[in-house]
Amino acid sequence: MVKSRIGAIFFLIFSAFYFYKSFDIHLLKGTYYDTMTAQTFPYYLGILGMIVSGLILIFSFIKIEKDDFMDMKKLRTYDFKKGLYLVLAMIFYGYTIRSLGFVISTIIFLILGFRILEAKSWKVILLTSFGISIVFWLLLTQLLGIYVENGVIFDYFLGAQS
Amino acid sequence: MMDGIWLGITTALSGYNIFMVAVGAFAGTFIGMLPGLGPISAIALMIPITYGMDPSSAMILIAGVYYGAIFGGSTSSILINAPGVAGTVATSFDGYPMAKQGYAGKALAIAAYSSFSGGTIAAIFLLIAAPVLAKVSLSFQSSDYFALMVLGLTAVAAFAGKGKFLKAAIMTLFGLMLATVGTDADSGVSRYTFGDINLIDGISFLLLAMASFALSEALINIIENRKVTKEEKAALKKEIGSLKLTKAEVKTIAPVIGRSSVLGFFVGVLPGAGATIASFLAYGMERSIANAKEKLKFGKGSLRGLAAPESANNAACSGSFVPLLTLGIPGSGTTAVILGALISYGIQPGPTLYTDHPALFWSVIISMYIGNLILLVLNLPLIPYIAKLLETPRELLLPLVMFFSLIGVYLVTFNTFDIYTMVLFSVVAVFLRIVDYPMAPMILGFILGGMMENNLRRALTISDGSLSFLWERPMTVTILVITIIMLVWPLISQLLFGKIAASEDN
Repeated sequence: MVKSRIGAIFFLIFSAFYFYKSFDIHLLKGTYYDTMTAQTFPYYLGILGMIVSGLILIFSFIKIEKDDFMDMKKLRTYDFKKGLYLVLAMIFYGYTIRSLGFVISTIIFLILGFRILEAKSWKVILLTSFGISIVFWLLLTQLLGIYVENGVIFDYFLGAQS
Repeated sequence: MMDGIWLGITTALSGYNIFMVAVGAFAGTFIGMLPGLGPISAIALMIPITYGMDPSSAMILIAGVYYGAIFGGSTSSILINAPGVAGTVATSFDGYPMAKQGYAGKALAIAAYSSFSGGTIAAIFLLIAAPVLAKVSLSFQSSDYFALMVLGLTAVAAFAGKGKFLKAAIMTLFGLMLATVGTDADSGVSRYTFGDINLIDGISFLLLAMASFALSEALINIIENRKVTKEEKAALKKEIGSLKLTKAEVKTIAPVIGRSSVLGFFVGVLPGAGATIASFLAYGMERSIANAKEKLKFGKGSLRGLAAPESANNAACSGSFVPLLTLGIPGSGTTAVILGALISYGIQPGPTLYTDHPALFWSVIISMYIGNLILLVLNLPLIPYIAKLLETPRELLLPLVMFFSLIGVYLVTFNTFDIYTMVLFSVVAVFLRIVDYPMAPMILGFILGGMMENNLRRALTISDGSLSFLWERPMTVTILVITIIMLVWPLISQLLFGKIAASEDN
């Protein structure tokens, strides 16, 4: 696999989509004949994007540098599973930060992160995740005066109306 | 000018600002030391903290982080041969062999003294060059600005390295395309929002910087499964030895520092070049002027080989502030992020910065000197202890980096959509990093995108829709000619030097 070729295909598709969507930019009445409308810049960027990615693609067939080949041996050592789990943990964090509140969702995210990366000592895991979340929460709310959501659970127990 | 300098000194020397530069230098050193995390990540991670601050203090903190990150990168280059920053790769050539021979302390001291001297010499140059350039740039018009931005973006691609020109170019275009998302500043029309209200304001620069650097660098670290090797662990446990230099050693490195600092500064001023290119150039220059006996020492622990890149990379950092502060045009990914930060404080850098916000303009320059002093006085003696932080297990460190990236962006908007967008961008950035596409041109394109479109629109409106603005003003023409030379230079150099190399081979 040639690395620049993979990237070129990605950018070619992206630029083509970007170019196509530039026609969807709704122009205001009276601006149709302006020298430069909201559509002009994206239109030319799309064309340039297609040209440059096309050139990379063409060159990737004509001349391939040695380091442009994907190092499959190295790729096989990559731990994509861990990366995927962490991506899911981040999505989960985004999903719960409002409902569970800053402190609880941060504690869960950090515990998940530490465990995915195979941290072994539960004492360290719990101390770090609870410590960081609570200290950061105190710092935000008490010292910097920044409001962060308590979360539905807290609100329920505290009887707060949302 | 003297009033301005005095104002800068009083602002920079206030207790709070000295504290800020110290915090910045320390935090930067720590983050820069972590392999894989560079100055862009370090700065991006600190930006949310600066939002509540006065812009001068915020910029002072950020400048401290920048220096600290470069210094931190040198430390990990010397101690464990794992540069955290591209600008300190050349440092490891001679720094690591010195550490292996048991002179880690000496190598760190040379790095610190060289960085300090390089930064100081460059700060003095900046003091002279910035106001002069700011005055010249007052006569710039929108067509000149447009041409300058094209030059800046082209230069980034041109300096990207052999075979990477087109890759850097497409990444710049990618950044420009992302910058068009949101409401068009001129007509108020929404573009590429796909009807989603969350995209009306566009993509925030902090989100993009954090996702494509801090978050994706952490993810790449995890995917690559890089563990601290036994050798690295042993190196960290070893005593670093004396930090003292002999008189003869000082005599050896002093002229090297002088030469490399001047070179570094001018390379830093150039758009697109920066600390990395400056350090390699200085290393190469020092090796080529060394005598045959000295030459053999390079790569095996040469003092000159260590002092040259270290002074050059710090001088280049100061140099890169010249186009940023005077023209409002960043020359590198790092200064692009700093520009983004300035804009978010409500300050538009450019020729008027010098007259509109003299306290900020001068205090940043003065604080660079103070930052270098702090690195020398505070960080150097603390290095053995800071280095111990490198032993912090990565399974604890990386989720924390991710947490700070996510929360740093979330706390600005309180919109969970930003978290999802960040995750998406970080995944794309990881993919692009694996297929070897550089990230810095993208962030540069993104920051310059809006400004570039506005200046092009203004220039076209002034010239009544004609493209004649491109050749009507001598300044615009000069800048565009330089751009064209830069564009075709890779081709010419390949034709010229390729032939010479081939004939030499024959």
